This record gives sequence, C-alpha cells and structure tokens, in this order.
Amino acid sequence: MTKIGVYVCHCGLNIAGTVDVENVTEYAKGLPDVTVARHYTYMCSEPGQRMIQDDIKSHKLDRIVIATCSPRMHEETFRRAVAETGLNPYLVEIVNLREHVSWAHTHEPEKATEKAKDLVRMGVARARLLEPLEKRKVKVEKSVLVVGGGIAGMQASLDLANAGFKVYLVEKSPSIGGRMAQLDKTFPTLDCSACILTPKMVDVAKHRNITLLTNAEVTDVKGFVGNYEVSILKKPRYVDAKKCVGCELCTKACPVKIPDKFNENLTEKRAIYIYSAHAVPKIAVIDPDGCLRLKTKKGNVCGKCQEVCEAKAIAFEQEPETIRVKVGGVVVAVGSEVFDASRMAELGYGRFKNVISNIEFERISDASGPTGGKIRSLYSGKVPKSIVFVQCVGSRDKRFHAYCCRVGCMVTLKQAILAREKILEDVRIYVCYIDLRAFGKGYDEFYSRARDMDIDFVAGIPSEIHCSPNGSLYFDVYDKGTNKLLEMHADMVVLGTGLVPNADLERISSLFHASRSADGFLLEAHPKLRPLESAVAGIFLAGACQGPKDIPDTVAQASGAAAKAIDLLSSGEIELEPLKAVVDKDLCSGCKICESICPFIAIEMKTEPGKDKEKSRAEVIEAMCQGCGLCSSACPTGAIKIQQFSNPQVLTQVQAALAEAKPKGGK
Amino acid sequence: MSLTDLMTMATPNLESREKILARLCGRDLVNCFQCIKCTSGCTALKLLELRPHEIVKLVNLGFVDELASSDIIWTCATCLKCVQRCPQKASPYHVIVALRNLAVEREAKVPEGYLKAVSQILETGLAEPCRKIVTRKMETVDRECLGLPKVCNPKESFQAVFMKAMEEKP
Amino acid sequence: MKTAVFWGCCILADQLGYEMSVRETFPKLDLELVDLRESVCCGDPVKSINDFAANYLGARVLALANQTGLHDLFVPCNRCHFTISEAMNTMSQNQKAGRKIRELLKEEELEYNPGVKVWHTIDLLHDCMGLQKVKKAVEKPLKGLKVASHVGCQIIRYSDLGRVDDAENPSKLDELIRALGAEAIDYPEKLDCCGSALMHSHIDSALSLAGSKLKALQALNVDGMVVSCPDCGLMFDTRQKDTATIVGIKLNVPVLYYTQLLGIALGIDEKKLGLHLNQSPIDHLLAKISA
Repeated sequence: MTKIGVYVCHCGLNIAGTVDVENVTEYAKGLPDVTVARHYTYMCSEPGQRMIQDDIKSHKLDRIVIATCSPRMHEETFRRAVAETGLNPYLVEIVNLREHVSWAHTHEPEKATEKAKDLVRMGVARARLLEPLEKRKVKVEKSVLVVGGGIAGMQASLDLANAGFKVYLVEKSPSIGGRMAQLDKTFPTLDCSACILTPKMVDVAKHRNITLLTNAEVTDVKGFVGNYEVSILKKPRYVDAKKCVGCELCTKACPVKIPDKFNENLTEKRAIYIYSAHAVPKIAVIDPDGCLRLKTKKGNVCGKCQEVCEAKAIAFEQEPETIRVKVGGVVVAVGSEVFDASRMAELGYGRFKNVISNIEFERISDASGPTGGKIRSLYSGKVPKSIVFVQCVGSRDKRFHAYCCRVGCMVTLKQAILAREKILEDVRIYVCYIDLRAFGKGYDEFYSRARDMDIDFVAGIPSEIHCSPNGSLYFDVYDKGTNKLLEMHADMVVLGTGLVPNADLERISSLFHASRSADGFLLEAHPKLRPLESAVAGIFLAGACQGPKDIPDTVAQASGAAAKAIDLLSSGEIELEPLKAVVDKDLCSGCKICESICPFIAIEMKTEPGKDKEKSRAEVIEAMCQGCGLCSSACPTGAIKIQQFSNPQVLTQVQAALAEAKPKGGK
Repeated sequence: MSLTDLMTMATPNLESREKILARLCGRDLVNCFQCIKCTSGCTALKLLELRPHEIVKLVNLGFVDELASSDIIWTCATCLKCVQRCPQKASPYHVIVALRNLAVEREAKVPEGYLKAVSQILETGLAEPCRKIVTRKMETVDRECLGLPKVCNPKESFQAVFMKAMEEKP
Repeated sequence: MKTAVFWGCCILADQLGYEMSVRETFPKLDLELVDLRESVCCGDPVKSINDFAANYLGARVLALANQTGLHDLFVPCNRCHFTISEAMNTMSQNQKAGRKIRELLKEEELEYNPGVKVWHTIDLLHDCMGLQKVKKAVEKPLKGLKVASHVGCQIIRYSDLGRVDDAENPSKLDELIRALGAEAIDYPEKLDCCGSALMHSHIDSALSLAGSKLKALQALNVDGMVVSCPDCGLMFDTRQKDTATIVGIKLNVPVLYYTQLLGIALGIDEKKLGLHLNQSPIDHLLAKISA
C-alpha cells in the first residue's frame, strides 16, 4: 500500500490567479492512495519544503506529488528536500500547473481548474509506479584540452592552469596569438594589441601546467565526459625545436618566396620562416610545399638554410608524430575567418588593388606589417588623400551571411581614428554605413571621439565601385541624412568585411560532436542560460567559433568556459543523473538501431565472451546519455528503456488521463 | 490616429498596403532596413529623382495612396540592379510594379505609352506595329522585300481571353 | 539542333537586322529554327498594367512553344526572356495564379509545359553550341577589331531567377566576341542600362541614359559596340542620333547585333545580315574589317 502526499502550490498568483487551488487539493484528497493533500503559497520556500518533510516523517509517505511550476525550475530543489528526510529523491513527481495550465489558459479559469485536476490525477498514477534510483559517480581526468591558441584559447588555458589543471593547448599554426596578434591597436582604448597580448603568450609558454603544442591539430576524439582520449597530430617543422634559437639566419638564406599568411598575403616570406615578429615559440618552420628539397624529395637540392644554421637545427628528415592524451574536458576555441569580399563582385575587391579588407588595413597599420605601420597604398606607395570605409560587407546580407558581425562598426571606427592619427598630411576620411553599432562599454564614447576627429559619416552604402586608370576609386552613394546623391573619390577603400565561420569548422564540429547553428558557428547549449558549452557534456566553447565577438567578450567567455570546466572536473569525479537509458541484455537482439539513432553517441555495441560468441549487445555509456528516449521508442524488442519512463510508467498516465473522459455524442 | 505626415496630413492606409502586399505575395520583398544601396545605384535617380529606398519605406509605413497616384512610380528603368544587390532580398522593382498595377486599378495617371501598347496587343497581338525602315542609304524597306516571313496574328480567341486575364485582381 | 523561336515585338517591328542575322548565321552552326504558329507579345509592357496578365502572356508563349513539340525555345530579346522567366517562376511558385493561368490557356486549347528550356542568344551560343563550334565556323577572323559588349540588364539580373550569365562579371558575350578573333574590352560603364524601358514615358531620359554610355565608349575609341537585345539595339543604334542631341555631342559609334558580327566573321554578305538597316556608322566598322 503506497502512501502519497500531494502538494499544490499557489506560486503566488501565478497559478492561484487562474486555477482554483483549494478545489484541486480537495479533489486530490479523494484520489486512491493519497494520504495527505495540501496547498500553500510558495511550495519551494523554506516553510513549504518543511511542510513536505514533516508530512513524510509523520505520515510515513513513500511517494510525493508536487503540483507547481515547471520541473526545470525546482525539481532539483524538491528532490534535495525529500532526500534530506531519507526518502529516495527519485520518488518525487512534479506536475506542471504553471506553464502547462495557468499560463497557457489564463482566460479560462474553470477549464484550467479541470485540466489541473486531470494533470494531478495523472501525476498520482505515475507516482505509484516510480522506482527508487541512485546517482552514480564516475572518476574524471583533471586535465583539459584547449583547441586553438588565440586569445580565447590562451585565456582559458591560463585560467585552467592556474586552477591546478593540466592543459594541452593545441594550435594549428606555428605560433599562438591568433587574430589578436595581427591587430595593431584594440578598441575602444587603442591599446597596442601586441603589448597586451605578448605577456599572455609568454605566460602560456612558460606555465608548468600547460603543454603547448603548436603546428599541431586534433585528429581524433574518443570517450566521454571526464574521460576523453584525444589524438593529436604534430606536423613536422623540419626544424629541431630544442636546437633552434630563432636567429633567422636561415630565412635570409632561403631562395624560395611564398605568400606571408600572417600579413594576409600582402607580402612574401621565405619557405623557412618564423611565423611573426613576436611568435611564441620563436622557432623556425619550413613550408613543405615551398621548400625545394621537401617538394622535390631530393636530398641534394638546395639546403642553404642548413648551411648557414649555426645551431645545426635543420631537420629535413622529421616525420609527423601522433600523440594520445587523456583529458576530462575540451575547450574549443578555434576562432573565425574573415569574409572573402571578392564574392561581392560589385565592390571591386580582388579586381581593384586599392580596395582592401579591414584585416588588410590592420596589417598596413601595424608596425610589424608590410609598410612598417605607415598608412600607404600598397601599390603606389603613396599616402592616400582620401579613405572611405564601407560597412557590412558580407554581413547582414541574405545573399551571404544574414547575421550582424558585431565588431565591424567598432573596427572601422578604430581604423578611421588610427588613419587620422597616423596620417599627418590632409586626408579626408569617410565611413559609409547602414547602422552604426557601438553597443559596449566605452563604445559610443569612441564613436563620439571619431566624429570629433573630423571623420565624416555617410548614411548609405554604395551599390558599385569603379576604378580610374590611375588606381583611385570612385562611386556614387546616396546619403539619407542630407538626401543628396554624392559622387565620392577615394585613394583607398576599406571594406568592413565580417567574421565568418572557419572553413574547417565542419571537421571540428564532427570531431567533437558539437553542433552548428543556422549561421554556421558552433551551437551553444542554450542561447541565454548556457552560452559557454555545447550540448555535449564536457565540450566547452570559447571565442569567435561560437559567434562573432570582440576581445572583451571573448576573454569573458574564455574565462567562463574555463570556470565551467573547473566546475565539472575539480572534484575528480562527476555524478550522473540516473534518468538514463538502460539495456535488458536478454531482450537485446543486437540490431544496432539504437546505436545508429543516438544523437549523443551514448550507445556502444559490445560483444560478450561466452555463450553467444559473435553476438553484440547494446550498452549505454551513462556519462553521455541524456535520457532523450529516442532509442527506447525505436527499439523493436523493448530491450532498452529510460529509467522512470518505462512503458507502464507512461501508459498509466494515459489511462489516468482518459479515466474521467465523457464520451461525446454521435453514432 | 497613431501617425500623421504633417507635410500632407496623410495617415497610413493599411488596407492599401495590404493590396500591395497581396500583389507581392507576402512581406519578403518589402523587408527593407534602409541601407540605401538601391538608391545609390539606381539608374533613374540622377535624371528622374527616383529613390527606391523611399518608395519601399513609404509602402512599409502605409503611405501607399499618394504613391499610387504619383508620377515617380513611372520613372523606374527596370534595370533590376536594386533586386540584384539588396542585402535583405527586398525588391523595390517589384514594389514599383505593384504600385503601378494599383494605379491602373484605381484609374490614376498612367503614361500613354503603356496604354497604347496594350490596345495594340488587343488588336494585333503585338505591342508595336511592323514598320517600314529607311536604310543608311535612304532606301525604304519592309519585311516582305527583305524576304522575311509574314507576321501571323493570333486567332480571334486570343482577344477575349487576354481581356479576361486583364480583369484579374490579386 | 532544332529549336522553336519567339521573336517578341521589337524585332519583328523594326529590329530586322537582328532577325536577318540570326536566320542567316544559325544554320551555319547547325541550329534549325521553327517559328511559333503566331506572333504575339510576351507581356513585357503589360507588367506595369497588370502583372498577372503579363505572366499569362509569358506562359502563353511557352504553351505555343509546347505546341511545336520541341523542348527548346530560343528567345533573342532580353526583356522577353526575363518576362517569360518570371512567368515560369510564377507558375511554379504561386499555386493560385498558376491554376488561373492554366484555365485561361485551356480556353484556347493551349497547355503550359514547364519542361520547355528557354534560351537566349548568349547562352544558346556560348553554353549550348559552345565556343569551339563558333570558332570552327569562323572564316574571316576579326583580327585587330576592338569591340565593347553591352550585354544589357534583364538577361543577367536578377540572379535568383536564373539568368544566362553572372550579374556582376558577365563574360560570355565577351568570350563569344573573342571567339570571332576580335578583342573585347572591359570598361567601367559596362553594366549601365540602355534606358529603353523609359521610352514608354520619359523619352528624353531614356535617350540621355543611352547617350551617356555611347559617349563613354566613344572616348575609349572602340571600333564597335555589340548588343544582343532589340531594345538595346533600338537605343544605341536606331536612335543614336537622337541620343547625341540629348547629350549634346556628336556620336559616331558603330553598333550592331552579336549575330551580325558573327555573320561577318562567318563570311556572310552584309546585306543578308541586315547591316544596311543599322542606323549607326557601320560602314566605318566594315571598312576596318576589310582593311
């Protein structure tokens, strides 16, 4: 004989304003097996919880039904309150009278009350069949893989390392630093990017808890939260990292020129090179597609770098190496790319040399860039007499990317201000925009500063850009503010190209089973409440790979992701909710439907030694299972079920729902 | 009234706006955020002062009636640059065509050239009559003497059915 | 290859050079043309009056093509091609309008067939027949001839409708010109409109638009301008003198249809190509070629 306690919450007026809670409580009292039924203003409050606890003790209740708000709000709270009395917390059933009744049917109180009674009757029927369950503990690795060595990856690594975690930081290019290393100054403070970044880069390299793996990529990920096994491919540098001192004698000797990616291909570097002026680690690397010896695979070709290297660090015979590490969690921080403006052919990027992207302008403005930090046309070498910035290139555009790139306006304001500060001669600076978005701390003040510096804003964007024979550009643009059609001439046009998802995000997405949102970036678990993690347990997201953002937001998200990882792994073990799939091996026919259907890769087929030699049966990896129920509904033999959601447990609710249904008229 | 244009004292006419939206089969073609790109590149702007962004905005706010009886909607050169380049896939061109159709329905001013073309089509099937041509050497020729096949007019049935089609309203 | 042909109104009315040159050159490229049973408007001017009726007329042209039993319809005019393409789009996207149009067509015992492939001069020659075929047929390569192409507006825009070439970087007409041995130049005003649509209501503005483009090309010393639409031909060739009056300078730009230039390169007699009908100074161009 089971003894059920039913508690109906008013939720202030949220429920009681529509549902007649007293009526529902009286009704509940009359249901079979219900020993006590009460109602109260705020069940989740201290006195509310104590009411339930006292009843459990005095009436020896063994099942609790709480008719209140969504279980997503307070199910945990009530479970804990019940657990304190010694009763198993999984013998609590939450009936939703708020989201499912009072909020949905606010204008029909009588019908709402009837529905509330139906739902309570169903909840009581289910409560009778609830079974006691226990949380299980799994040991976890106190180490984290961070993928991507930009500011997001570096910040997360430092936070994790400082908290005592072992960090593997994997970066695919030969140096960490990412996009931020390519910037001249940062908005809105105009801090020198390298000055604030390089100390962090050195900290990362020196930290005893961080293993820095540059020129490396993640190739495989196995396992589950707390127990991931990751394969990392270390691409060969063809230079002995222990011997190279970064003197760069080799780069001067190399005869082969290749495009310099760090300078956005505006300049060339040699086939043996150091990634950038402040590269960390400062070790040379050889491009195997450019190097004559490596390209031709002939041992007697060139080798000039080897001749001049005093540290004898050149190592043509280096091979790729794969290492495997065990980690408890992963922070994905692979960043984003810049929109290829040649796709918007009407603006002339790629055809006209003086039409450049904002990242190219950044390299021109940077002291370590192709012009030594002087704003010049790369083609004529002259100082521009007029510069026009055109916003929203590739962004807010249904033909390319519908989203706003978030940083474009601030980047342009910064670059316009830098141009004004650096160019001593007379120069006209214009910004053609649709909306000017300066939303952050100090941002609108920065916009005001730009206006104070004789930078002019044209409210409208051009339809097409033309080039005159001498390389300067001209176009028409209509200004909303003055209602004038303006013909503009510019020596330099800088396109506000937006941030777009990385080309290899598809590979990253499938490696870590992190889904992507409609805009192509990695998808967070919940856009408002869980922005730092993917839907897969143990995989955290940081930086622009989750969505375009500026440095303050990136750093905040990175530290947040690190904190989440620390939260998850710091106790050395994690508790798993028992509301998961469970396989009855005797009923399992090994058909593999469940394994193929599971979106969380939480089912493995295991062959058992012994009687049925070749037969594999499904086994649930509890740590990955989210209890979604897809396997249970697909299983043809009924071998797999979700704890607390077995067929009898679900069907009894259906029967209870129809118990008081009145047959309608008709033949 | 929630909105009044103090220059003309006009108020939005949402019914008229619905007529335009019905012709456009929904809001997509009017989903504009005023980037002004269309006007910046409009073929008819310099000579005829056509501002496509303004037309779309007026329709969105419901100021349709004045537009339907205006001259400006007849200045579009139908070059389609605005349709091609709009980042929101709006289409000032289609909005203008819809306004023109509404103007005709309301018997507002319609340039004669179009009316002539329509009556030609009714009569002969073609919008223009076959003409004699004067060559550079000042000789007059026509289809027949150039050996080109005769032009066959559509059967009588065409007229009635075309009239029916012309009476369709969305 | 056998294809039905729909000439529209302008070509039949007074752009006879286009028709003549097509009829002369196509057989040399193994293209056989079959005229529709009647000559009727595609609906272009009707769009501004009643868009539905325009779609009906466009669908009717395809129904006429369907009657020939052929799967291809060649439409040499940019505007007709656009109007017919929009009609096809309406038939597939708008169920209500599609149904009504089918009913109306039935009254004349006509049936719309979405399976008819619609071609324009540019893609029929460039994509379907191919540049190699054109090159092979050339007997008199037009070496040293500097030509500017004007591909027009409604044949390249708007991309979502499916047009014959890229809207921002159309190259096919230029390649067809190069296949004849001539040089096809790039110029900033390449995508500018001829203004023909404004001939219904704002004639001076229309002529001004055409005149501006001619003026720019004249400054570049081109030997000729090639068009592939009768409306563009009307503006740049037939009415060149009027455009000159509007823009206030003397204009002497030879303008001809691509198929006329093609015909010259194929060694066909000028008169057969209707070159005597062109109003712009074609003789300069012909003289340069003979030289």
